[in-house]
Amino acid sequence: MENLDAARLQMAFTLIFHIVFACIGMVMPFFMVVSHYKWLKTRDKIYLTLTKSWQKGVAIFFVTGAVSGTALSFELGLLWPEFMKHAGPIIGMPFSLEGAAFFVEAIALGFYLYGWNKLPEKFHWFTGIIIGVSGVASGILVVAANGWMNSPTGFDYIDGKFLNINPIQAMLNPAWFTQALHMTLAAFTATGFAVAGIHAYQVYKKRRVELHKRAFKIAITFGAIAAILQPISGDISAKDIAKRQPVKLAAMEAHYNTEKGAPLYIGGIVDNETQNVNYKIAIPGMLSFLAFGDFDAEVKGLNDFPLDERPNVAMVHYAFQIMVGIGTLLLCAGILYFVSLKRKKWFTNNKYWLLFVLLAPMGFIALEAGWIVTEVGRQPWIIHKIMRTKDAVTPMPGIVFSFYTYVVVYLTLSIAVTWLMLRQIKVLNHSNS
Amino acid sequence: MLYVVLFFLMFSLYLYILLGGADYGAGIVELFSSKENQKITKKTIYRVMGPVWEANHIWIIILIVILWIAFPVYYNIMVVHLHIPLTIVLLGVTLRGVAFVFRHYDAVIDDSQKLYDGMFKISSLMTPIFLGMVFGALISGKIKIVEDVSTLTFYEAFIRPWFNVFSILVGLFFAALCAFLSSVLLIGESEKTVSKIYIMKASFATMMVFIIGLITFIYGYFFQYVFVQDFLQNGYSITLMFLSGILLVPLRITIRKGRRVLSRFFAGLQVFLILLAALISHFPDIIITENSSINLLDNIAPDSVIKVLGISLIIGGTVILPGLFHLLKSFKMIKILERN
Repeated sequence: MENLDAARLQMAFTLIFHIVFACIGMVMPFFMVVSHYKWLKTRDKIYLTLTKSWQKGVAIFFVTGAVSGTALSFELGLLWPEFMKHAGPIIGMPFSLEGAAFFVEAIALGFYLYGWNKLPEKFHWFTGIIIGVSGVASGILVVAANGWMNSPTGFDYIDGKFLNINPIQAMLNPAWFTQALHMTLAAFTATGFAVAGIHAYQVYKKRRVELHKRAFKIAITFGAIAAILQPISGDISAKDIAKRQPVKLAAMEAHYNTEKGAPLYIGGIVDNETQNVNYKIAIPGMLSFLAFGDFDAEVKGLNDFPLDERPNVAMVHYAFQIMVGIGTLLLCAGILYFVSLKRKKWFTNNKYWLLFVLLAPMGFIALEAGWIVTEVGRQPWIIHKIMRTKDAVTPMPGIVFSFYTYVVVYLTLSIAVTWLMLRQIKVLNHSNS
Repeated sequence: MLYVVLFFLMFSLYLYILLGGADYGAGIVELFSSKENQKITKKTIYRVMGPVWEANHIWIIILIVILWIAFPVYYNIMVVHLHIPLTIVLLGVTLRGVAFVFRHYDAVIDDSQKLYDGMFKISSLMTPIFLGMVFGALISGKIKIVEDVSTLTFYEAFIRPWFNVFSILVGLFFAALCAFLSSVLLIGESEKTVSKIYIMKASFATMMVFIIGLITFIYGYFFQYVFVQDFLQNGYSITLMFLSGILLVPLRITIRKGRRVLSRFFAGLQVFLILLAALISHFPDIIITENSSINLLDNIAPDSVIKVLGISLIIGGTVILPGLFHLLKSFKMIKILERN
């Protein structure tokens, strides 16, 4: 395996894991805080049990997120030293603020976990809010740094040198808002459906139904609202990418030739040789409309760009289809949940619960697919139009061994975390029931 | 503003060595304890470190982020030439963190605890050794700076800088320092009968720090390491080292009298003096390579970057430090009050 490929795989692999840990660690505190609030309001013991069991989840995911995040902060330099040498100072701003936000989160978590019966009740609850808010802030800041790679601003690039650096402008790059909004909603959708799905399974299996139903309701409410709002953010993102990174949009849609009134392809199999998409469903004019708000607008095709400036079309196209497909599915499921609130008898139907069990992993699949679209779609650039990924990679050979080590360690860790969570749920079901 | 950034760089390095070090040391103390004492230590560690250990380890993230933003050249040399030990440190940090959480949060207590404990203890020892090796490598003069790294052999570029006697000695020295810090901390956190164990551990760790330190210097002196030679010729460094040694006397007295806060203060001060002595002997040349020294003040990011970073650090510091202080204080104080 080439060093570059090994480094890219290792980065992708660790990010895929980190994203899951980080999202859960960022969103679950909100569920915990809601349940905690209900306990303080109603003094119903079930909410206390639920809060305490969720707090363990938050703790475990916070730590796994923190260590995999520490690993990433090193890996950025270890794998891409040339990138960090130049980009480090420019995008340092969001990273240093993220460090601060993360620190606040760790401090608040310390107070929250160990503060039961020691801190004043309201203050204790409030530290939970701080965990959630600072977690989301960290997420947004890291995505802002990624946004800079897609839309580098805040410097002048003259003769291969980065001059007149403006770190604030770099942080507030054109992509930061659309990406951060899309990612935050995605994190809420994915975690909401995942946590709801786990509790739905317990209801389905008729274990401590009262507790798990309440847990389900809290989690799915967050997930459903986010899933319903997500298409709006998706639309903003699409229009933004059409302007800033037309080649990425073309790859997402496997759109080879520039044309007016471009059709939207749904599904299909990409044949890069013949530049065809087979077995697709085409909606005339729709791509032009979605990208520019006009059915006749011209959408640039891949052939307008040099061969060595195009990403892997098939991968980006498939990932995009998966993301949008699942997004639509979860949107429907979110609406279904709100309808079910009016039709109480659905709750007694086990098929209702089974449906949400099946939807549990979907949000995360969509989220990972979305990141594949952004990251693979940015290639061959590590800094859009400024630096190529292959010029940023470490000169140290044999990265492939480091990649294998990471694969073994991370896979073992995820098996262990899953197993730990299962034990947690088992113990929860057997306590006071 | 550069001095604000430098202050925070040194500050987070110091706090990481102090807090993170005590945290690693806890695992080392547990590793070198009898079976019975291991159980007690495990409980104490959870009580003392539980609320604060995540916060302790964030200092290294702050440290790395300041390095890459403000001192990109310095950071670049580290990540290229010390890729291997840094990766091992990372794996150690990962396994250790995970083991800590598993052994305290696992809902079921069974044989898997043995695995978590083993993971925790081994990674608690290995991580600081490799971290110390990284520090050692930066001052060992074994890194060769060239335009194109591919002109060097793999051994020259990526192994020799850190895999040498001197760096390994510095690694062991750092691990001993961690054990020392941790045992002083644990003395104050345990019952009278138990605290005797940690007093023994603290004395033993002090001896180890001294012996390994001495060997490092003797080795460095005879094999003409620039760092050691300059250190020995630097009046300030020698004085600081000497002061740090003298502080052992008040440390012993405060420990015997059961003055928790004061004994911790002295231990922290000793480490501060050692760190300062090491930094001052060569400042501002922080990396000593085979062909040149890398001056920390020469290779910095543009002014606009330093300015913004300085401001963010000041703002971040004013938010974080009081909170952190309160966290450290609340839980320690609460526990001490409860026992009395």
